[in-house]
Amino acid sequence: MTNGILVLIVMALAAAAHVLARRRSLAVVAGDIKKLHSLPAHHGQTGFLFTAVPALLLMALWLVVQPFVIDARVGGMIADSDVPAGSTHELVMADVRRISDGLDTVVALGGSGEEEALASMRADSSAVRARLAKAGVALGDNVGDAAFTAAAAHRALVHSGRNAMTAAVLALAVAGLGFGLSRVRPDFRARIASERFVTGLLIASSLIAILTTLGIVASLLFETLHFFRLYPASDFFFSTVWNPQFRGGSDLGIWPLLWGTIYVSLIALVVAVPVGLMSAIYLSEYASARMRAWVKPAIEILAGIPTIVYGLFALITVGPILRDYFAQPFGLGSSSSSVMTAGIVMGIMVIPFVSSLSDDIINAVPQSLRDGSLALGATPSETVRQVVFPAALPGIVGAILLAASRAIGETMIVVMGAGAAAKLSLNPFEAMTTVTVKIVSQLTGDTEFASPETLVAFALGLTLFVMTLALNILALYIVRKYREQYE
Amino acid sequence: MDDMRLADSAVKAAETKIAARKVQVFYGDSHAIKDVDIDIADRTVTAFIGPSGCGKSTFLRCLNRMNDTIPACRVEGDILLDGEDIYDKRVDPVQLRARVGMVFQKPNPFPKSIYENVAYGPKIHGLARNKAELDEIVESSLRRAALWNEAKDRLSAPGTGLSGGQQQRLCIARAIATSPEVLLMDEPCSALDPIATAQVEELIDELRAQFSVVIVTHSMQQAARVSQRTAFFHLGNLVEYGETGQIFTNPRDPRTESYITGRIG
Repeated sequence: MTNGILVLIVMALAAAAHVLARRRSLAVVAGDIKKLHSLPAHHGQTGFLFTAVPALLLMALWLVVQPFVIDARVGGMIADSDVPAGSTHELVMADVRRISDGLDTVVALGGSGEEEALASMRADSSAVRARLAKAGVALGDNVGDAAFTAAAAHRALVHSGRNAMTAAVLALAVAGLGFGLSRVRPDFRARIASERFVTGLLIASSLIAILTTLGIVASLLFETLHFFRLYPASDFFFSTVWNPQFRGGSDLGIWPLLWGTIYVSLIALVVAVPVGLMSAIYLSEYASARMRAWVKPAIEILAGIPTIVYGLFALITVGPILRDYFAQPFGLGSSSSSVMTAGIVMGIMVIPFVSSLSDDIINAVPQSLRDGSLALGATPSETVRQVVFPAALPGIVGAILLAASRAIGETMIVVMGAGAAAKLSLNPFEAMTTVTVKIVSQLTGDTEFASPETLVAFALGLTLFVMTLALNILALYIVRKYREQYE
Repeated sequence: MDDMRLADSAVKAAETKIAARKVQVFYGDSHAIKDVDIDIADRTVTAFIGPSGCGKSTFLRCLNRMNDTIPACRVEGDILLDGEDIYDKRVDPVQLRARVGMVFQKPNPFPKSIYENVAYGPKIHGLARNKAELDEIVESSLRRAALWNEAKDRLSAPGTGLSGGQQQRLCIARAIATSPEVLLMDEPCSALDPIATAQVEELIDELRAQFSVVIVTHSMQQAARVSQRTAFFHLGNLVEYGETGQIFTNPRDPRTESYITGRIG
């Protein structure tokens, strides 16, 4: 019985519990709802929950724990002498698991009895690899006797484990159903029980987001520490050379990448902040309601364009234009990939972040302040500059910092617009690269995973995470500190 | 009653500052002000009274063209300030508002220091040639708004940190710092407690020496206390306009009588 069908059966039992508990609650009071503490629907809900929740929790737990238990028991069957030279115990175990899966397929394809198929394969272990290959399981080597025995044992354990799980889960579901029905009494506080469950569900959902963040940080931190054991932290943070080598002996200084990130983001902000702010001011202070209804969604479309499309725009349009009309005539470079290209396109990308957030913030400035200024004979632009803008400034700073952290994390536009050369240079028309781009190229390279050349990606990721986190915290702090200024 | 007569004679001597003829105001399709004719005298406090929604605030906002900021609002008829039509195309509403100041119902100090609040108008209009002159304008405005003694030691503190009554007096100081000729006040005391109200009323009486003051109020006692002339609005019409004593003691129109005796409104 597959897991999906098991879940469906449990849900069907739970649905039955819902109907039965509801009906029973009415029967208990002979149809007089007023005598019930909770409505029949609440009794139905608790019946459903008593049936489904414990059974599904048990199933989830079982599915997580079972592989560990089976691995521990089968692992003992592979002696060190069975491990081929150049391989490890773990790799053999991975093979055992795959053979075990493959055996299932072979048995299913064979059509003959299960015992026969296994027996014939055991008799001729050299043919195992071919038969498994026919069943769609590719193995790198012939299957040894020990591995085959272990795989057969693994398969048997998996099967018996699955049967036991099915039995246990169904038993628990039925027990839950019976328990739920036995608790349907006029004074049972079914409403409070189901409310409490809903609260628990909501708390669990919000915890998932928080725990995921913690998990991401923990995995980054773990691999980063691993990296610093192989490569000195002082070289990483203070060296100005980025030159990874496949043979080892690389220079992995973060500064060229960090400089690229900062330079590109800075240009992006120089483009996005004035344009975004001025369009926000136009939208909130000058545009008519009809104009606003058209322009605001149109600007927000920019935020919906995939960044790879922006990258194409940088690669085939902005890059060549900048090269032909600015870089080459002024002798600043001959590359169409440049910090300027990526920065400008990225700036266009973050315009809606600045304009949309600032527009909301400017709109939140009370109309009475504008009236007060206009009534003193100030022009609309004086009012915006001297009253509205200062009042909205904290929120606008927050919007800009959020846009900045968005720019720092951007990858695709940089790959296609600024190139992949790690360089420390002030010339904006030269190709440079950023932290995110190098994370991608180091992780997808051909080097071994445990080498510093790959692990450096985690250290880079953590640095980036800390940077954007600091910017976000700064933004939140500024917004909170000055939020109530005009109230 | 002797005081009242003295005030009356002063009114007769004053000349007309604002003259409105056949003013109509529309908000989209609704006709908010109908055929209003009124002469507002110089150096006089004129009160607009009437039930909620009668158009008194709308009419007040016509006098400095603050209704321009509402897209659906349309004004017809003539409003003359010193004989000049303020709705003429050649008149710049920005210059007009420098001459006709306004104080709002809710105190609305800018989120700046007390000093900057008062200096805002003079700076915009270039009324001070240097810092010393600006300081003097700020001080005299705060003095005339009876806020100087409370604020002189905290001029750099934010205006929003003052109490409600102080904030409203700050807004009055801010309005008079640009030396307007007319001061419009839209229920300036409705958000204030009785003590702050008394201070502001006293202030209005002093301001009469230099400005023409027009005040919208819901409190008939306030209208009787501070004004020399009273206009009663009802459903967009100017029902009755005359000397305050006469309106409250001997109204000519039965609707005015019903309102001031509490039967409508």
